[in-house]
Amino acid sequence: MLVALQILLNGLITGAIYALVASGLALIYSTGKFFHFAHGGIIAISAYLLYLLFSIWGLNLVFSIVLAILFSSILGWLVNTLVYKQLRRRKVSSITILISGFSMLLVFESLILMFFGASIRVIGNFEWQNGRPILDVVISPLEIYIVTFSLTLLIFLFWFMKNTRMGKAMRAVSDNKDMAEVLGISSEKIYGWSMIVATVIGAIGGILIGLDHNLNPDMGTNIMTKAFTAVIVGGTGSVAGAIMGSFLLGIIENIVIWFFSPSYSDAVTFTLLLIFLLFRSEGILGIKKGEEK
Amino acid sequence: MIDYVAGLLIVIGIYLILSLSLQVPMGFTGMFNIGHIGFYAVGAYTSALLAFAGFPFWLSLLAAGITSMGSGFLLSIPAKEMKKDNFALLSLAFSLIVYSSALNWTEVTGGPRGLSRIPKPVLFGILFSENTYFLALVLVITATTYLIIDRIVNSPFGKVLEAIRDDELAVRTLGKNVFKMKALALTLSAFFAGIAGSLYAHYITYINPSSFSLISLVPIFLIIILGGLASLKGTFIATIIIVLLPELIGLIDLPYSLIGPVQQLVYAMILLLILVYRPKGLYGKVETQ
Repeated sequence: MLVALQILLNGLITGAIYALVASGLALIYSTGKFFHFAHGGIIAISAYLLYLLFSIWGLNLVFSIVLAILFSSILGWLVNTLVYKQLRRRKVSSITILISGFSMLLVFESLILMFFGASIRVIGNFEWQNGRPILDVVISPLEIYIVTFSLTLLIFLFWFMKNTRMGKAMRAVSDNKDMAEVLGISSEKIYGWSMIVATVIGAIGGILIGLDHNLNPDMGTNIMTKAFTAVIVGGTGSVAGAIMGSFLLGIIENIVIWFFSPSYSDAVTFTLLLIFLLFRSEGILGIKKGEEK
Repeated sequence: MIDYVAGLLIVIGIYLILSLSLQVPMGFTGMFNIGHIGFYAVGAYTSALLAFAGFPFWLSLLAAGITSMGSGFLLSIPAKEMKKDNFALLSLAFSLIVYSSALNWTEVTGGPRGLSRIPKPVLFGILFSENTYFLALVLVITATTYLIIDRIVNSPFGKVLEAIRDDELAVRTLGKNVFKMKALALTLSAFFAGIAGSLYAHYITYINPSSFSLISLVPIFLIIILGGLASLKGTFIATIIIVLLPELIGLIDLPYSLIGPVQQLVYAMILLLILVYRPKGLYGKVETQ
């Protein structure tokens, strides 16, 4: 029973981080209908920026975090304007956009390798990173922050999509781009904004990963394959599905890690990905591709 | 010096087999196959394991091609009902699974440490251990591959493949069995990728999962897209450029730790720039859509 509670808790923490990355990926998919693979790279950059500002230059922690998020969102906007927008103008398939996103992921990864080296970096050692027993389970204050923070952000995202003008416009473009254009919503503008919203949420995720684990140059690729799986499991293009997929994946991975070995967790993730692609491409919620309900 | 040049030519030959075979589904049929690196891995591991078990080289080579072909056939079954984009995602998942199996199935694949001391090939009693000898072997196989693929894409079957790429619905309306054609293209391409994997394993004599990660697919994709989709001549020229590029980067006096990242950065940037600014590549018949 205790073990089950601890596994569930660990799964919740892992899932909360995946959800921050996967929800942005699903948001971009729902509006632009493509997988933004460079997302992982930008997320890794945000974590390394925090390392640069806080650990190397010694700036204030909160100020560094804000600056890292700000810079990442500018980077996200640049990626959209300089690459994705040009590709869309040529009306390329979503797979070509995926490949170009993947090459940007590699660009970011190699830049990190060039500037920070291949060895693992630690942002800092804080008292609130250490786990402590609370009600028979072990958890650190940071992990409580992660779950609370992530849930708050995701609730905010839902509120944003449902109630604001921009959120409604995003859903309109996601449902029917041409109709939205007729009604005077610029789809390019919406793509730009969904990129910024997704990047801000993702960058927060990247920073939380950086604080909870360590930094390594291929963290972007790793988190990307996990978030991608979560999006497929949840049903492509559904933000709610992606979040559910993230928590499901987090819990399954922690079950595997607890009872078997951490080295099998990747294999299980990819098998899950394959099963869903083969047998249930509409995801666990059964949402049709690209339709937000 | 001769050894060094022969070594480069061997690598060019292996990459040429890999990228020519990827042209069949990707350039000619319009199937975005991200799983190609997985076929390459299946071939390399099969051949190495059979060689350890004492099988002669020609049998390991052939078996490598056939097991890859088998995995290509398996991948083509679900591709039947799938849209283009979903097939790409499926093949992506396939290569991720092959990679993580190579990494974690330690009893068979040696895990992250891989398999070492793979024997050099012996054919007709001759040991192909010298680079120059091995080059002769690679040249023969590469030339055969080129001729076979050239023959296939210029045959009526190849024309049907191109028609599928340009307008699948129209081909289906004409009563052609599109699924069978696609499955054939994929299976055939997997066979040659397996052969390339086997040659690689016996040339380097050491394989580990990192040679078969998604990142290793980038140079091959780059060759296809730089050379141009559906152009064998372009593929040939692009292979030479892309294999020699790291040698040029090596001429710049970089610290040892920077060579890998700089090379990766250059590859990724070129791929990105071609996709955005020159979608036809050097000699492409069609744009990368």
